[in-house]
Amino acid sequence: MIQILTGIQNTSAALDAEHTRLDVISQNIANAHTTHDVDGQPYQRRVVVFDTVMKNAMGGDESGNLPTQVARIEKDNRPPLQVYDPGNPEADARGMVALPNINIHEEMADMISASRTFEANLAVVKNARSMAMQTLQMGKP
Amino acid sequence: MSPLSAIPAYSPASLPQVNALTSSDLSQLPASAPVTSATPIGGDVFSSMLGQMVSEVNAKQQISGQMVNALQSGQNVPLHQAVISMQEASVSFQLLVEVRNKLLESYQEIMRMQI
Repeated sequence: MIQILTGIQNTSAALDAEHTRLDVISQNIANAHTTHDVDGQPYQRRVVVFDTVMKNAMGGDESGNLPTQVARIEKDNRPPLQVYDPGNPEADARGMVALPNINIHEEMADMISASRTFEANLAVVKNARSMAMQTLQMGKP
Repeated sequence: MSPLSAIPAYSPASLPQVNALTSSDLSQLPASAPVTSATPIGGDVFSSMLGQMVSEVNAKQQISGQMVNALQSGQNVPLHQAVISMQEASVSFQLLVEVRNKLLESYQEIMRMQI
């Protein structure tokens, strides 16, 4: 296949990974008050772990590219917040409700980081495209 | 990697119909028999290279079309991948157009030659 845009495989993989990270952050924000996760416990904050893809091990190209990917999505094991809310149907005998220990500010800061990284990778694509177009202009008088 | 080095070397087996056509045509010409014994002539190499390039650009355009269709029909295709494939298709088409322009230019240059 013609490699027309420089480093497009790495950038595309990084965009995928950041996309997943933004998905996970939005999931964390959306579940900030979820008292029942799939395991019945209060929702636990999810964290994305990235690693590099071993292209050659997968029978890929020999270019030595090391694109990033989402290795796994792990749970953050901090304990849930105990909030006194006797009117809540989820409250225990002492009137305490276990809420997910999600700090919205932390998630917003993560979101800024993820969207800036996404933006940086988009800038790489844009630059690769303009490099290719300028190279094509080289043949013109 | 330069675009031209990505194209595999010409092999006569890759385009059997062209190869068969030229070899049968040329075998009817008795005078040129020793020249065209086994080595492919330059036109074959270039036309197969050009044909391969056209088919690769076509493949890129088709991939991009499929991704946009998948995106618009609500499948799980990220937006950025669709846009990247569109960009790739567009740039490789530009490259093809440049090659075609250069080819026509050199043809016209030859046609203008004084004999």
